[in-house]
Amino acid sequence: MDVRLRKLLGTDTLLPYWLLLPSIVFIGVFFLMPLFNAIMLAFRADNGAFTLDYFKKMVADVRFIEALKYTFLLAITIVPLQLITALAMALLVNTGFRGSRFFLYLFALPLGISDLAAGLIWLSIFTQHGFLNSILYSLGIIERPIYFISYQNTGLTFLAVVMAEHWRATAIVLVILVAGLQMISKDYLEAAEVLGARGWKKVWYVILPMLKPSLQSALIIRTIFALQTFAVVLALAGDIIPVLAGEAYFWHFLYRNSHVASAYAVFLMAISIGMTWFYLRFLRSRMEVIRG
Amino acid sequence: MRRFGIIALALLVGSVAGLAAQKITWMSTQFVPIAEAEFVRNEILAPFAEATGIEVEFIGAEYAEFVSRVEAEYEAGKGEIAVLCGLHGDFVSVLDALADLSEVSPGGTISDTLMKLGQMAGKQAYIPLMQATYLMVVNKKALDYLPEGADIWALTYDELLQWAKNIYEATGVQKLGIPAGPKSLLHRFIHGYLYPSFTGYQVLAFDSGAAVKMWKYMQELWQYVNPAAPTWDAMDTPLLSEEVWIAWDHTARVKQAIVERPDDFIAIPSPAGPAGRGFITVLAGLAIPETSPNPDAAAELIEYLTTPEVQVKILQGVGFFPVVAEAAGAVPSGALQILAKGVSAQAASPDAIVSFIPGGISDEYKKIYKDTFFKFVIKGEPVDVEFLRSQATRLRELYLEAGAPYPAPDGG
Amino acid sequence: MSYPRLLRRTLLYIGATAFALWVLIPIFLIAISSFTPPNEIYAWPKPIIPSRFSLDTMRFFLNSYGVLNSLRNSILVALLTLAFTLAVGAPAGYAVARFSFRGREAFRLGILITRMFPTALLAVPLAVTFIKWGLYDTLIGVALIHTAMALPFAVIITTGIFMGVPKDLEEAAMTLGCSRFGAFVRVALPLALPGLAAAAMFTFVISWNEVFAATILTVNNRTLPAHILTTIQASPLYFRFAGGFFMTIPALFFMFFIRRYLFHMWGGATAER
Repeated sequence: MDVRLRKLLGTDTLLPYWLLLPSIVFIGVFFLMPLFNAIMLAFRADNGAFTLDYFKKMVADVRFIEALKYTFLLAITIVPLQLITALAMALLVNTGFRGSRFFLYLFALPLGISDLAAGLIWLSIFTQHGFLNSILYSLGIIERPIYFISYQNTGLTFLAVVMAEHWRATAIVLVILVAGLQMISKDYLEAAEVLGARGWKKVWYVILPMLKPSLQSALIIRTIFALQTFAVVLALAGDIIPVLAGEAYFWHFLYRNSHVASAYAVFLMAISIGMTWFYLRFLRSRMEVIRG
Repeated sequence: MRRFGIIALALLVGSVAGLAAQKITWMSTQFVPIAEAEFVRNEILAPFAEATGIEVEFIGAEYAEFVSRVEAEYEAGKGEIAVLCGLHGDFVSVLDALADLSEVSPGGTISDTLMKLGQMAGKQAYIPLMQATYLMVVNKKALDYLPEGADIWALTYDELLQWAKNIYEATGVQKLGIPAGPKSLLHRFIHGYLYPSFTGYQVLAFDSGAAVKMWKYMQELWQYVNPAAPTWDAMDTPLLSEEVWIAWDHTARVKQAIVERPDDFIAIPSPAGPAGRGFITVLAGLAIPETSPNPDAAAELIEYLTTPEVQVKILQGVGFFPVVAEAAGAVPSGALQILAKGVSAQAASPDAIVSFIPGGISDEYKKIYKDTFFKFVIKGEPVDVEFLRSQATRLRELYLEAGAPYPAPDGG
Repeated sequence: MSYPRLLRRTLLYIGATAFALWVLIPIFLIAISSFTPPNEIYAWPKPIIPSRFSLDTMRFFLNSYGVLNSLRNSILVALLTLAFTLAVGAPAGYAVARFSFRGREAFRLGILITRMFPTALLAVPLAVTFIKWGLYDTLIGVALIHTAMALPFAVIITTGIFMGVPKDLEEAAMTLGCSRFGAFVRVALPLALPGLAAAAMFTFVISWNEVFAATILTVNNRTLPAHILTTIQASPLYFRFAGGFFMTIPALFFMFFIRRYLFHMWGGATAER
């Protein structure tokens, strides 16, 4: 059996390529091809002619500017919040106090929770008769429920979405940063301490610079996924806060136009690639960043 | 004698075998959700097969699939589908492919008004099967705040505004509910209720002066609508939770509230505007394609589906209302009767303007209505005639591209 | 213990506890909501602790139309995804970990880049392709795009795992007469098994949680998140809360089992420090 298998696979020089083949084929069929198709759908009419109509339609959409605005607002509010929170958590855990590994597990819990579930979890807090209103009322702070989820107060609704996303997706940043901290050689830290860097000084002058690739990696990943935010917004805010991924979904499902839906998807992917390029171009240590 | 017995037996066996061999295909744009399809298969079609030996295979289809399949079979001159079920608008799109059903007799009495709707292109293109509409459901607690002189069975939009305002001023909360979530039927409210009531049309007067007034009215009314409205797709839940006291929605989407607490709610007609009381009648019917492989069995199915018993079953199962007169009286007591009372009061309004759901055009028309609402009402931007004009142009283009007629009340 | 050290330690625990509460309280609240009787969900003001523990809300959720069916779909899709991902990704991870060959770095870089790509968005064009291929609205179709999303992580994690299995052991087995394949099965695989199980669970969680692609690619055969998302604005609040809690349970469970391997996929040097 094995002799035949060996003959089939050739020598050891060929073996790795055989092992890679399935994943390369898979990426070709289910990644590169749909990517190409998305571009074709967005730029080509049903009769095959090249057209910009679908992009024009997307830009002319009454909800487009709103969706663009909120998509970016969400990303630029949530990502820095998450970086700061996760950094604080990671440094805390990194001190290695007793029970720190248990706390790390707790902190990482939301990693396994979907954005939809997170939206629903926070809905139980923010809804009209939800926990937050009930507590505020019981403490005598308010007389009647505040509409946290309300078109009349998109600011509060936006804040609710931010809190839910911040809560859910900080864990992934935490994991990246803890992984980065683990890679910092103990020798460096000891050397730093010998030279008198302690406490905050050590964090600021030694740990943070060495953590930079991980921070950048987390920044890129989170920005890209924040741009795709969708289910948490729909679950919490319904139609109050439009976002780009949601518009792609509505065009596909409610208005049944896969061309415009693809235009939205291509637009989002273009922004994602643009952001990655921007980060890689303007933040140093490129390769390390991708490797994260 | 023995010989005769054998012949009789052979005949019997033959006829049973013949009966069992009958199998027809029914394609439908209605009852598509799995729950409804299951209901049709188990509760409607299984007894039919038992009684007649005709086995019906039910296929749910989206509008586009429905049209392309029917057209393809018509062009091929040969088909598999024996019988069709669709909305009025679905049939408009495939009129050529439909057989004349003047000879088919329904199982109950269908009024002339309804039958006439099925007469198109000089033939009885379809037989009405069932209807649905959208109306208002009111928590009885709201009745205390009804403005003076207002008749709940003949409400106007101005009175509705005053009513919601009264409640807000007395209780401090917005108790009016309009479904404005992503998958709500808000577009129906706009094109089938607001527009006809204020302008008399759903397409023709999209950017008229009356329309501008209507949007301004809506902006005012919106102050008294529960601010969580854009998160609601159906109103039964907010009615039950009492987040709202007055709600507008599709009968199927408020049914649950009345079923659960029949003593707390009443169903009433939608309000009237300056032009009249605009409301939508969703009319679904049955048709037989020219290429039907078994028109006789198809006619038998149509007869069966329009018997009063089956009509009542459909009402109970999926919340669509009967079209045959005998069934109207057979509506069971309790929740459904409350709903039925509202539906018939609305249908019988003297100032009625009946609207149809657009058929045969791109679903983008929904977005045109919803987007205009989003801009003027949810975002609260000033009513801008230029914008209305561009939306109107786009809307008419959609009809032009598809070659579809404007639905009632605008045209045929 | 000196006074400043005691203070420092106290502060550390206070900080850690504060963060832990921030993470746990919402989970606790949704759990409470799911075991509150449905009529109390709307009570005002709502008591933090319900008057009685009730299974009605959960029962209503599980008995609601389409939930059990979509739950079954979700599990099937996640298992299919897991099988596809390991079948396709693990060999690649092994190759990258064990061999040095031309194109190895290019492959690794390609994988790392796809990890940063919003793959779920590809569901939009895939819907059109899947209709042509007869894969639209099928569980396999959903599993395929979930595999595309999970694959980069699987390759990276399995690379890390196989790197952690000493090459010497396999070579020793081969000198003792084992074939390459035999050495892999008898030596490397058993050692890598716990890690592979963690990778499998991680893949399962990715698929279990994914909403966008699953919603775009299905109509009738919805996964649980897709079903909840599409019915969300028309469902009672207690249905939504029960759904939110229900979707969270496996996350808590799986996170416990994979916690040691979490750092592999982000370049953490070892599983345990």
